[in-house]
Amino acid sequence: MEGSLTIWLAIAVMTAAAIFAVLLPLSRPVAAAESEMDVAVYKDQLAEIGRDADAGLIGAAEAEAARIEVSRRLIAASERMAATAGEGAARRRRLVAVGAIVVIPAIAAVSYGTRGHPGYAGQPLAERQRAVPVPGDMAGLMARIESHLAANPGDGRGWEVVAPVYLRLGRIPDAVRARANALRILGPTADREADLAEAQTLSAGGVVTAEAKAGFERALALGAGHPKAGYFIGLAAEQDGKPEEARAIWAKLVAEAPADAPWIAMLQAEIARLGGPAVAVAPAPAAVVAPEIRAMVDGLAARLASDGADFDAWIRLVRSYAVLGEADKARAAVASARQRFAGEADKIGRLDGLVNELGIGGS
Amino acid sequence: MSTTGTPVLSRGGMTRKQRRLTLIGIALAVLGVAAGLVLYSLSGSITLFQSPTDIVEKNLQPGARMRLGGLVEAGSVRRGENMEVSFAVTDGRTSIQVAYRGILPDLFREGQGVVTEGVLSGDRSFRADTVLARHDENYMPKEVADSLKRQGHWKPGDPAPNPNAAGSSTPQSPARSP
Amino acid sequence: MMSPEVGHFALVLALALALVQSVVPIWGARRGDAALMATASPVALGQFAFVTLSFVVLTYAYLVSDFSVENVFQNSHSTKPLIYKISGVWGNHEGSMVLWVVILTLFSALVAVFGRNLPLTLKANVLAVQGWITVAFLLFILKTSNPFARITPAPMEGRDLNPLLQDIGLAIHPPLLYVGYVGFSMSFAFAVAALIDGKLDAAWARWVRPWTLVAWIFLTAGISMGSYWAYYELGWGGWWFWDPVENASLMPWLAGTALLHSAIVMEKREALKVWTVLLAILTFSLSLLGTFLVRSGVLTSVHAFAVDPERGVFILAILVVFIGGSLALYAWRAPTLKQGGLFAPVSREGALVLNNLFLTASCAAVFIGTLYPLALETLTGAKISVGPPFFNWTFGPLMVPLMIAMVFGPFLAWKRGDLAAVAQRLTLAFAAAILATLATYAVTTGGPVLAPLFVGLAFYVIVGAILDIAERIQLFRAPAATSLARARGLPRAAWGAAIAHAGVGVMLLGIVGETAYKQETIVQMRPGESIAVAGYDITLQGLVPVEGPNYRDLVARLTVREGGVDAGTLEPAKRVYTARAMPTTEAALKTRGMSQLYVSPGDPGTDGSIALRFFYKPMVLLIWIGTLVMMFGGLLSLSDRRLRVGAPKPSARRVAAAVQPAE
Repeated sequence: MEGSLTIWLAIAVMTAAAIFAVLLPLSRPVAAAESEMDVAVYKDQLAEIGRDADAGLIGAAEAEAARIEVSRRLIAASERMAATAGEGAARRRRLVAVGAIVVIPAIAAVSYGTRGHPGYAGQPLAERQRAVPVPGDMAGLMARIESHLAANPGDGRGWEVVAPVYLRLGRIPDAVRARANALRILGPTADREADLAEAQTLSAGGVVTAEAKAGFERALALGAGHPKAGYFIGLAAEQDGKPEEARAIWAKLVAEAPADAPWIAMLQAEIARLGGPAVAVAPAPAAVVAPEIRAMVDGLAARLASDGADFDAWIRLVRSYAVLGEADKARAAVASARQRFAGEADKIGRLDGLVNELGIGGS
Repeated sequence: MSTTGTPVLSRGGMTRKQRRLTLIGIALAVLGVAAGLVLYSLSGSITLFQSPTDIVEKNLQPGARMRLGGLVEAGSVRRGENMEVSFAVTDGRTSIQVAYRGILPDLFREGQGVVTEGVLSGDRSFRADTVLARHDENYMPKEVADSLKRQGHWKPGDPAPNPNAAGSSTPQSPARSP
Repeated sequence: MMSPEVGHFALVLALALALVQSVVPIWGARRGDAALMATASPVALGQFAFVTLSFVVLTYAYLVSDFSVENVFQNSHSTKPLIYKISGVWGNHEGSMVLWVVILTLFSALVAVFGRNLPLTLKANVLAVQGWITVAFLLFILKTSNPFARITPAPMEGRDLNPLLQDIGLAIHPPLLYVGYVGFSMSFAFAVAALIDGKLDAAWARWVRPWTLVAWIFLTAGISMGSYWAYYELGWGGWWFWDPVENASLMPWLAGTALLHSAIVMEKREALKVWTVLLAILTFSLSLLGTFLVRSGVLTSVHAFAVDPERGVFILAILVVFIGGSLALYAWRAPTLKQGGLFAPVSREGALVLNNLFLTASCAAVFIGTLYPLALETLTGAKISVGPPFFNWTFGPLMVPLMIAMVFGPFLAWKRGDLAAVAQRLTLAFAAAILATLATYAVTTGGPVLAPLFVGLAFYVIVGAILDIAERIQLFRAPAATSLARARGLPRAAWGAAIAHAGVGVMLLGIVGETAYKQETIVQMRPGESIAVAGYDITLQGLVPVEGPNYRDLVARLTVREGGVDAGTLEPAKRVYTARAMPTTEAALKTRGMSQLYVSPGDPGTDGSIALRFFYKPMVLLIWIGTLVMMFGGLLSLSDRRLRVGAPKPSARRVAAAVQPAE
């Protein structure tokens, strides 16, 4: 423990210096100390008066009067010193010296001893970031990436890598920013446009905003049949109250998709939800959803399971389940939230409104 | 300002005692004027803080000037023509409709604490001429925090009053209507 | 070597040394023991070294983002710009308290080093009193607000990135205010030392004055800067709001100004001794109150005490011990102080007494307005707010007679003055006042009826100050060469006083211009629309989104034309800091002479329009220029040789010949 040795050395040196500050003036001979007394002050003042008078700053009469006044004080001071010096002085000095040697370390030991952590070295961030990362230290990893990006905001790859992690952590606004940056720096592609718009949609609680819709449309223009963009354009239509149109968009997407596309099943489910006929492709497990959304929703659910104080996050979770077509889970989330916020009428009211809005009241 | 000595006639014809009395007289006069000013203006420029529930329970009459504080009810903000804004201020039990014309402070948000100053204009409606919000996103005006606590809506630990977070002199930001 | 633990330990050692300093020198002074008294200086220097080391270590922890220190974790962030990492050190309670003690021990160290012209007993007592204050604050820091508290494991990222606090004005003005507050501790220490010693003479006043002046200059700077910051940064166009935070700094300023003036009387005439000592005590008490009112959070919530009772009780204890203790000492010892020179009500002394009366009365009014709501809430639970009208109606009327007397004062002779003669010499000032009033009536339309009178008052003050100097150097009455020689020979303190007084007039001019003649319009504008404000034609060209490094702006691009001629653009913005989705308003200013056009944007409407608030603020810059002039006057006065010499000035009683005052 080289570090802890240094700190003890520092503590020792500092304590010694503090004691020295008290002992130093005591160690000087009395005569020397006395010569520095008021006598010196008044002598200084006499000299000043002389200079002032020479410079014409004060009148001759004033200067003379001041001289007399100072001289009177000078004499008084010398007499006072002569009278008091000597008796008991040596004893007092010894007392103060011993006191300083005992009291200063004692106070330091008591006060620092109860609150200090001498073995705990400083933790400058840069040093910690150079150190080998601990596996599983997500926060540490993120901090490192973030500080890298703060220093190199032009690193589009970095933004692209960090964006899905943000989504998983539920930091949607950061994800939006990261994807916007990636898009700006690396140039638009269908994927990037769609990814950004998707994050924007998530940050709006699952509503495809006009901004996001424009993004998806750009994505489709860059790459016809882009599945994510297509899905969300359909969702936008549904949210606009045009389920027919939504169904048509999705059906077209499914029809044009390669048969092994993993997202077909999800679209099938969506179409079914809107009451449309199944489009001819082999059914696949319903759980297959765009992985980022899945991850984000799961992350949100996990977070709320451990700390459910954030009411808006509950709303987001319910909406997400509803958007994914998982009405059961949505209902379960509503039930948990109701339990959590039982006493709060306004929040329960908002939950009721949500259930009506999403049409998941059923059971 | 002296404590000793016999009366000495000065050229001005005033005795030492007279001088002292004059000084004391002037001092008392100044202090009297100051005290008068303080009392007079204090009676005219105090506004009481009320929560929405206070207004209803105390059955306060329209025309009274006061400060009304609470949370901006979510979804209640309506913007009209010509910078007219209306919103509801709630303490969880009661809400009061507030009308205001002008620019709202930066940190005015739905669901956040707000203090408005103005006149009660009718049953559960309030005409504000000043809207205050704090320059700290965690800040909840202390009156609001208190009244919410009374209504059981604020728990310590919520991101609410955090007096140390703001800088040493970050006054409240008022938005005043013209 | 820069481990946070070193900083912590240095703070502890400083406490130990402060305890030594509180006891040993004063014991030495009682016994007349030079050796014990001599410990005061090195111990004071040692304290300063340790506290500074501790502050440096804390700053280092901020610089390297050492989040194992809780204070850094709570108040910093690794991506903060360098300068705001540094200012973050005192942007929070714990760090600001350390800065407070750094400045306190700096003042002690200055006394130790430069106090060679002080009598040893006085120096020992003064440093001991400073030691008491240091002990109290260090105990407070270590017990309730330790900036070196650690967290393990250390978090990877700090918590604070509040963009609003990242402002250069906000970074600088707290330290300025602190130098002001703490500087008054010197006046306090001198006062208490004099009470202990029972020795209080003109020399004492002369020793106290430079410290008071330093404190006053810094406090003026701090208040002025805070006011300008609020004006340009907060975006609502006001420069003083009578907010409790502002009042907390104004109160010691008013008391300190009174102290500066009463110390003159004491220095020149050995009168007002008892009163001066009381003022010194009160000024520092108000500084303590100001520090704690702002820092403890009592102003934002009485519950700050309940939330952290230990801290609250400690603060109360410090206030009670220091304010109560010093006042008790005062009550006990003051009657033993000998009274000094006599004077007639109409005299220089009389004018300075009047100054003190009005300053302290206005200070008391501000005190009542600031603390009455707190007291009422504590006692009855009723919540009230005391609005600006209260302060305007109490403070304003008290300032008017003060300013009238302020011009007369320097013309009056010591001991006994002649009002009529002075009035005659001030003819020019009266003429200027009347002229300015009439001119204002003629030129302006609208505005309060009284406003031109205040313009007249401002001119009266400024011209009065100029006349003061002119009179002293016999301008136009003596040959130019003589005047020049006299001007050079005039004590800097006299120049300083006249300039500072003129600064008050300049500031008043700015205040009247701003409050009485400002124009304000709020309009909802669409691109292409125009509006006329104070002779400017302003057109909204469009709303332009702009990306900043960590924010997004919606800039309202405005072109300004004056009398048909292009006069540039204004670009106020609604800004959102993306990291926290935090909105702020960026006002835009256009300066013409001393006046400013000020635009601050509101919320954009859904139809492409935006609410814009226009102010035209005539003469507004004079407010801060006035304070700069006052500060410059203070600096000149501080540089006066006589202040630093410390030679006891002969009292006028002894030197009957010195009739004409030097100042």
